[in-house]
Amino acid sequence: MNYPVWYVPELGGGLLIALVAIVHVFVSHFAVGGGLYLVMAERKAIREKSQDIMAFVKKHTKFFMLLTMVFGGLTGVAIWFVISLIHPAATSLLIHTFVFGWATEWVFFLVEIVALFVYFYTFGKIDDEKHQIIGWIYFGAAWMSLFLINGIIDFMLTPGAWLSNNDFWSGFFNPTFWPSLAFRSFMAFMLAGCYGFLTATFLKDEVTRHRMIRYSGIWALASLILSIPSAWWYISVLPEPAGKLVGGASPTIARAATIGSFSMAILAGLLIALVLLNPKARTRSLIVLVMISAMGYMGAFEWIREAARRPYVINEVMYSNSILKKDVERINQEGFLKHAKWVKNKEVTDTNQLDAGRELFMHQCFSCHTVGGFNNDIVSRTKNMSYSAMRKYLATIHDKRYFMPPFVGTDNELKALAAYLTAGLHNKPLTDDAGAAGDRGKILYEDNCAVCHSADSIKPKMKTWDLATVRASLDKLPSLHPAMPDYTAPVADKDAMAGYLFGLNNPGAGASAKDPGETLYEDNCAVCHSMEQIKPKMRGWSRETVRSSLDRLSALNAAMPDYTGTPAEKDAMADYMTKQIGGAK
Amino acid sequence: MNPVDLIPVADTLTAANGWFQFFLMLTFPLHLFAMNAMLGCGLVAFISHLHPGRAHHELSHELAKALPFLVAFTVNLGVAPLLFVNVIYGHLLYSSTVLMGLYWLAVIPLLIIAYYLAYIYDFSFIKLGNLAMFVLLAALAMLLAVGFIFSNNMTMMISPASWSRWFTSPAGTLLNLADPTLMPRYLHIITGSLAVGGLFTALYAATVLKSDPEVSEAGQRLGMQLFSWLTLLQLGLGSWFLLSLPKQTMLRFMGGGTIATALLAVGILLAVATLITGFKRLVFPTLWLTLPLVYVMSFMRDVVRGNFLAPYFDPTTVPVQVQWSPLVLFIVTLVLGLAVVVWMLMQLPVTRKAN
Repeated sequence: MNYPVWYVPELGGGLLIALVAIVHVFVSHFAVGGGLYLVMAERKAIREKSQDIMAFVKKHTKFFMLLTMVFGGLTGVAIWFVISLIHPAATSLLIHTFVFGWATEWVFFLVEIVALFVYFYTFGKIDDEKHQIIGWIYFGAAWMSLFLINGIIDFMLTPGAWLSNNDFWSGFFNPTFWPSLAFRSFMAFMLAGCYGFLTATFLKDEVTRHRMIRYSGIWALASLILSIPSAWWYISVLPEPAGKLVGGASPTIARAATIGSFSMAILAGLLIALVLLNPKARTRSLIVLVMISAMGYMGAFEWIREAARRPYVINEVMYSNSILKKDVERINQEGFLKHAKWVKNKEVTDTNQLDAGRELFMHQCFSCHTVGGFNNDIVSRTKNMSYSAMRKYLATIHDKRYFMPPFVGTDNELKALAAYLTAGLHNKPLTDDAGAAGDRGKILYEDNCAVCHSADSIKPKMKTWDLATVRASLDKLPSLHPAMPDYTAPVADKDAMAGYLFGLNNPGAGASAKDPGETLYEDNCAVCHSMEQIKPKMRGWSRETVRSSLDRLSALNAAMPDYTGTPAEKDAMADYMTKQIGGAK
Repeated sequence: MNPVDLIPVADTLTAANGWFQFFLMLTFPLHLFAMNAMLGCGLVAFISHLHPGRAHHELSHELAKALPFLVAFTVNLGVAPLLFVNVIYGHLLYSSTVLMGLYWLAVIPLLIIAYYLAYIYDFSFIKLGNLAMFVLLAALAMLLAVGFIFSNNMTMMISPASWSRWFTSPAGTLLNLADPTLMPRYLHIITGSLAVGGLFTALYAATVLKSDPEVSEAGQRLGMQLFSWLTLLQLGLGSWFLLSLPKQTMLRFMGGGTIATALLAVGILLAVATLITGFKRLVFPTLWLTLPLVYVMSFMRDVVRGNFLAPYFDPTTVPVQVQWSPLVLFIVTLVLGLAVVVWMLMQLPVTRKAN
């Protein structure tokens, strides 16, 4: 709300960040681990007095320099450029909070560059001992870069005590700092081994080639194995919401975690072991597979880390759409548009509703949702929803789906956004109940389910189901599909929805069979207590007991007003309630 | 729409603003030196291709070897001042960055390609034959384009009056072309860079390349010629830039402001002095005059920025919440880091030879 938005409707920023970040991470971790690999391999060459290994190390250094210094260095700058374009507010907060951390990292970047140049251009020109020292300086500086950036990245996921004291060191040495540092270091060493693999296959001399393939393989495999417990450690220190998301509450993360990390780790391990067992085989294609699976492992980790802090960009501080958590209440009172800098419509009026809604979309939703694009397309996600369903959904969006930030603004602004998302994107009418008057089940369905699937799309799945099966399924949605949240509505609502859903395949059946007593109960009693809540109290009651209690409600509980319905209405309600507790007339 | 309403709220600083100004003014000229050397080295190498004979061919080859280092240090030494600009002017910079997002992102591929071209020019110099000069030309063109993109962002961020264009064009395709100061400013800095780069080349030829007198002589001649003629041209371009500034800002340099006027006077004196030493081909005296000149120029640049921003932003009003220990960490690391860098450079055979 503080900054303009880079608005290319079909191209959201999230994908761009992910792309640049994964590429950079894959090279920059190599830049760290590769430093150690180079000095160790050089030491091996010196100890074994092997000219061939030394020549290999020099050649590998050239490849290393061209890849890490140019591509690695500039993709690092690229991340900075991209995030300042897509998340200016978060970038500003990170830059301001950790400016001297970044500045210190820049010093290590400078030392790294000089060390690598000197290392590469002095092969065989200065004595071995000094050359090795320069190699160690390179590795030390590169690892310190990792150390510093690690603290700032993990701050975004787990700001820890910084939240209360705003202290640099509390934010830096945050709860995930050490496990993440361990994990990243092992990843760096693993990647160094993998890249070593790759260049070793180009060695002409067979004996040296096999030796270096085996040497690199041991590096990669040992580091990979050590990285697994550190990943475990990392996950175990995650705080509650993030831990829950990673632990399965977010189906997409769970999928990334299982498919990504574990299969990649196993695949990488298996492939590396294969190469180790038989370095004489033509291994280049196998090694390309090792590289891809290692990238998958690393990529899955980064992806999970990024996703686990949703709906925040900086956990508990700033939502993904750059709104500060601490400002939410004030903005809800005073209005988002009034406080936003880069909007034309400073308040919602009768004439600007759709345009104000569009501006609200740009500032509150576009950071994650494209309009007709590949990534989280908003058009396809809203096509099933009516204006009234959208309003109800937006009002509880963060409660229903934790990883979405809450809508922030006044009720009028919420209506404007709902209008844009329905009338603006889909030309839907702006009527309050979307023509569903009379069928509560349909309204409930639209409010609660249609955001993910239309009634038509699930109709075929329920073709053979009877009413009881449909009704029972509403009690165990997550077991039908892991991505579905529980439907935590009163029994009456579930009954109504079941009736509507059953009616889809059986027109004329369930939908019209609504008990008049039930409607009376909902209209008069359910605002204070659901049927479920009072069921235990009525256990064992006969129909007569129920019926007579309806005449003296205030005597049962002083807080309850007497029911002023006609005797016929009381009879109908008593019939309905008796049925609910399993009794009969 | 009132431009002031668009300016985002600046975030809290963790040290007094003066510290960031100090680090910015300390590191930005370092970036300029590297960037100037990179562009000048490239241009001299290119001109050298146009001259026949062994000495010029060798000169190009030697400069080809230096170019990748210069790209690396230009990037690295650019990171620090950009960081401090982010701290002091971040809310302005990010706004104009969003307005020109597409071009801003283009900086990265342009730099990566130019960087690799510099390596190709270096490692495949002989193999490429006559093609080498075109590889170099392509790299130079890309680097100049990067400079143009930066000039756009640095001028747009201090001109909030131009920002409301975003409402009709939010796709990140806006540049600051309507700003009358943009072209003179860009040409002024690029000409200055190429001039100082020429001086660097002459210095490089006079020291590192002195073992081959013919090559060394060619390098010093071309470098110093470039320096002197471009500095002469620079007096004209500088005047154009000065006249293109808003009247109030311009007048500050013409007696209205003591510091601004003093900076301009010292700048002109130093420039005239370098012209004399330059045309006389006195490499080292020219160098000693140019080093302070670059600092004077960047201070003047800062005065211009302050004047542009005066109606919109006063850096002293930004809230400050001081924490000393991270600042100390940075300073200690910087001192130790520089010591390590110097020690490593001492190990180079070339340094030992030069000593």
